[in-house]
Amino acid sequence: MNNNGFMLKTNELIKVFRTEEVETTALNKVNLEVKDGEFVAIMGPSGCGKSTLLNIIGLLDNPTSGEFFFNGIEVSKFKEKQRTNLRKSNIGFVFQSFNLIDELTVYENVELPLLYMNVPSTERKKKVEVVLERMNISHRKKHFPQQLSGGQQQRVAIARAVVANPKLILADEPTGNLDSANGEEVMGLLTELNNEGTTIIIVTHSPSDAEKTHRIVQLFDGHIVTENQKKIL
Amino acid sequence: MREICIPLANFGEDEIAEVTLTVGHRKINYSFRIESFPWDLEGTQLKEYDDDSCHASIEQIMNLRKALATYEKSWELVQIFTPCKGATHIQVLYRKRN
Repeated sequence: MNNNGFMLKTNELIKVFRTEEVETTALNKVNLEVKDGEFVAIMGPSGCGKSTLLNIIGLLDNPTSGEFFFNGIEVSKFKEKQRTNLRKSNIGFVFQSFNLIDELTVYENVELPLLYMNVPSTERKKKVEVVLERMNISHRKKHFPQQLSGGQQQRVAIARAVVANPKLILADEPTGNLDSANGEEVMGLLTELNNEGTTIIIVTHSPSDAEKTHRIVQLFDGHIVTENQKKIL
Repeated sequence: MREICIPLANFGEDEIAEVTLTVGHRKINYSFRIESFPWDLEGTQLKEYDDDSCHASIEQIMNLRKALATYEKSWELVQIFTPCKGATHIQVLYRKRN
């Protein structure tokens, strides 16, 4: 599919949340383009729509209206099953609170996306070993998440996000629960993955994390108010 | 620890705060500025839509976008603060580019 160099593109994207009494416009005519291989930070105050935008970009939710092109395909009206299929082979997620499954070992957590994709056992084993090695966490592969430090858990989460070799990584406050050294390490890993060609979008409150990206998009009240291009790709 | 918060008493809307940070033997100079942009719709065409929160909100965002786009390029936007209800100005934190 020809995407004209854009991994994703939104056109007048609107997301409205409705309850019986209240209607909240979380995103209001958002136009965003992200090129293949770009590293973008989305910033803005709490409640400005950052996570809503990330959920739509990550195909976890549909917009209320507007268009969303993912890798050249218009996906805004995709059904849940279509979104899932596209998501599991193209997108890796990293969350602030790691979201690892406590009952599974490090190895099993990382293996999970490959099981969903029906990757054969031998290939699965090889991929998991390689990525655990790369994230410098293979010595902990039999441990459970609760036995690891925050930094180690986030490394496992990144391993899980990248094991299926996704084109896009979405990270929601990836350093939010980490100390300085571990935060730097996580940003270093994301930068390394980006240098190898993976498109990365992070939501962050940290100016120093945003500093490491190519472009900072500022959201306010559901609108993009400014975009600051820092590095030419 | 990744960040230090410094309370600034009586910090003026158009004043520059200069901070020198010494880490080990390394000194780093920062200049920060809090800018205030108009957030009420006084004097705008949409004043008559005061009861229409949707129109008012869009007008406020348009004004903010314009203010951010035309701001001095030697200053880099760090953070937009959420204005209180009924606030007449919205505050934005800038940092001097090196």
